[in-house]
Amino acid sequence: MTPAKVDADTAFQVAERLRVPEPWEVFAERTNRYEIHLNGASVELIRGPILLEGYGVRVIRARDEATGIGFQASTDTSDEGIQATARDAESLSRGSTFPAKRIDLPGAASGRPAGVEVCDSPLWDRPMEYLQDYVDALLQPFDGIRDVVPSFGSVRATLTETTIANSAGLRTGYRQTLVWLEMAVKAEGAAEGRPPGEYWVTESTRRIDPDRAATQVEEWSRYARDAHQAVPSPTGELPVLLPATVLATILPAVLGTRCTGGARLREVAPDVGGQWGNESLNVTDDGLVPWGVGSSPVDDEGTPQRRRTLLDHGKISELLYDVRHAGAFGTQSTGNAVRGRQVVYQDWRRFLHPPSGTSTTLVIGPGDGGSDEELAEAAGEGLWVQQLGWAIPDPYSGAFGGEIRLGYRIHGGRRAEPVRGGTVGGIAMAPPGSSSLMHNLSGIGSTPTLAEGFFGPTLLVKSLTVAGSA
Amino acid sequence: MSDLRDLESEFARSLTHLETRTRFAEILAESAVGERIRLDRRSVTPSREPRLHGAVIRAWGGERWVEAATSALDPESITAATDAVGRGLSKSQGASDPPGESANHRQEWAELPARPMRDMGSEEILALARDALSWATSVPGIRDAQVSLGWDDQERVYLNTAGSRCYQVLCRVHSTVAPLAIENGRVEFDYLISGAEGGRDVLAYVNQESVTTTARSALSLLHARSPPAGRMPVLLDPSTTGTFAHESFGHGTEADQFVRDRSYLRPILGQVVGPEALTIVDEGSLPDGWGTIHFDDEGRLGQRTVLVDRGKFVGALHDRETASLLHAQPTGNARRSDFLSRLFVRMTNTYVEPGGWTLDELVQEAKNGILLEHCTSGIEDPLGGQMQIKVKRGRLIENGRLTDTVSSMALSGKVLEFLRDIRGVGRKSYVEMTPGSCGKGHADLLPVGSGGSYLLSTAVVGPA
Repeated sequence: MTPAKVDADTAFQVAERLRVPEPWEVFAERTNRYEIHLNGASVELIRGPILLEGYGVRVIRARDEATGIGFQASTDTSDEGIQATARDAESLSRGSTFPAKRIDLPGAASGRPAGVEVCDSPLWDRPMEYLQDYVDALLQPFDGIRDVVPSFGSVRATLTETTIANSAGLRTGYRQTLVWLEMAVKAEGAAEGRPPGEYWVTESTRRIDPDRAATQVEEWSRYARDAHQAVPSPTGELPVLLPATVLATILPAVLGTRCTGGARLREVAPDVGGQWGNESLNVTDDGLVPWGVGSSPVDDEGTPQRRRTLLDHGKISELLYDVRHAGAFGTQSTGNAVRGRQVVYQDWRRFLHPPSGTSTTLVIGPGDGGSDEELAEAAGEGLWVQQLGWAIPDPYSGAFGGEIRLGYRIHGGRRAEPVRGGTVGGIAMAPPGSSSLMHNLSGIGSTPTLAEGFFGPTLLVKSLTVAGSA
Repeated sequence: MSDLRDLESEFARSLTHLETRTRFAEILAESAVGERIRLDRRSVTPSREPRLHGAVIRAWGGERWVEAATSALDPESITAATDAVGRGLSKSQGASDPPGESANHRQEWAELPARPMRDMGSEEILALARDALSWATSVPGIRDAQVSLGWDDQERVYLNTAGSRCYQVLCRVHSTVAPLAIENGRVEFDYLISGAEGGRDVLAYVNQESVTTTARSALSLLHARSPPAGRMPVLLDPSTTGTFAHESFGHGTEADQFVRDRSYLRPILGQVVGPEALTIVDEGSLPDGWGTIHFDDEGRLGQRTVLVDRGKFVGALHDRETASLLHAQPTGNARRSDFLSRLFVRMTNTYVEPGGWTLDELVQEAKNGILLEHCTSGIEDPLGGQMQIKVKRGRLIENGRLTDTVSSMALSGKVLEFLRDIRGVGRKSYVEMTPGSCGKGHADLLPVGSGGSYLLSTAVVGPA
């Protein structure tokens, strides 16, 4: 499909009035944000539209063996404001040093922006009403559920027109929607003496679907009941099944740091060709996954998105670059410039940040492990991790792990009783010959699921350390 | 720096306009300046705070709050935001009074620290960053480090229709030095972090001794043993104790969780939950704290609120709404991440007060267990009463002695069991406050401080 046409022309207007030498770049956003906050099953607060229009100016100044780069963000679109922002960027470039002799911004001839679905049309066309429809659809099923109630939540929709202009002649833009959902539901009763069980879901998506809300509530309610009934987690070195929702909190942060030009510059990137994963593991980075939160027609510097192979049968195939790090190594950007991403947090105000190179949507190709049930059967005795407290991996050492908020024992090849508490962890990515999640796979599921910055199947890890209190 | 006080007449005009249509309205405007230098072996990246300022207007609609925000502070934009609130008010149906009492303080805190960072100059900050990098890389085996030094001066003005008018400038200074240790494809780092309200004196924490100690620690992690797994005595270092206070009795006592019936703590308010040695406090008025505020975003003064007093759970954190619903007093904990974000009950600086034990005594008391050091994150479970804390490193405790270094791990446990098992709290001389960034749920990050001394209890730990 063709990217939706933008009405905003913020970057183009700023570029028109910018008076600085080339090369320069303007990244701009015009955003309307809508929020509905819940207290129990009641609407506590409605906010929006919250309008935010702003831009970031980046200037690139070649020196002898290095380059100075200056970036400044602003919401002031007056002539005076634009010139002041540009002066700041120039001044910052003078204090900056980056080891690239030459940095090439993508021009109009860099390629046609790819078509990818990142804008939820019903949400774009009538945002608050559609958000309200969705919230109503989320709350309605609770009328028929006696043992599970919502305790709090919020749905926040960000509707953005992104525009990018640069001195190489690029003028591009697209619309996108981003929805942040946070909802906690709790189950009470039955299990005597136990605290209520809570399932606290957070997810970032491109679209919402009121027709899917009842199914979501049913699923969350089931998990809340299981949390209420859960017994302590076991202890030991166990086969562990990690579904896409959990892998999404681990793998993008690690691979999106280590497999980049930035890591190569710091001499912490893996060598291309090195065996950093199981031979059955194929990993790509794909900025064109439909409805992926990391997807877009162009990256945050305007380079058209494409698919890149990171691991081919476990061997490192290529690294991810923005234009800055591509310049440091005399190569081309891979379309991986992302703004405002910290390890586990994406700022919705991307224009406030300069770009850096990281992953868009990390994709693990389907394996021959079959369904989740078949993977459990292959595990025999082990643990299914449904939700971790907060995995926050160490992007350099690759260490990951956290509290088991909800899991299930695997007994006799079947998912058995729910467990809660204790920790599970290990190393996500480690050099050839070391032990890691990516090396120690004994099964790769056949059905991929999109979960924020990850699109892939459930993985069966041969063994991880589980520290329970059972 | 623009001075928001110059715009007060516009803000007051907005409130006057709304006063005819609501029983209460307030406006909070903010602006910030600041800069940061990031440095590693190959690059230098200076940056400045975005040219971003704005205001949020909130008014009581008779049944719920109505609010609008603007990122432009010219008269037309403020009028547009005021009109947006007015339209929201016209749709409101209720006629009740706003919850709780409205603040009516009138005060200014505009004094800058003795040696403000804004006078320091980029070159001087860069020189210190280069020193930090060279100290780190002077340790054999450390080839690179990531250094970040910066400051921001945040200005906020608050006015309401009850006559409140508060103005503050908060000058925060922060630094991080993270030496990278690399060997055969393995990478480890450790970090030195500091942050506080103040001037350039805050940067004194970045010195040759502290940086080289951190660099040696990063190296030691390359060959660290894996941590043990299971339930055992755990000795928390000051940064981990602070995170324990924050995740256990911080989030759990944010009274909006009480209102949502989402706190396991609510039913036990007034009960003894831990030993006499345990006192936990939230203190927005803490001098020079990273989370210090002179007034909150409802115009209440920052204050010291005792949450656990010598083992007894005695208090919670409130905004005007939760205080009204729960028959308590607001505690100055109503905070917004920024003018674009909604207000929640939030912590400021949360800490465990020191006890009387030396570190040696605590290690001997633990006998066999683990010392958790350099906390990296935590997450609460206000309903289930559990907590997760992750640390960068640790030391084994064997036969009452600190022995081998172990790599990163997570602590998990039920808060009330953890409190019950507390056996000792370290002396005042060990107390440290650590700067952090706290989310409400998984969003709305804002600066908070946390800290304490060493603390000995029992919990489950495992690699992470």
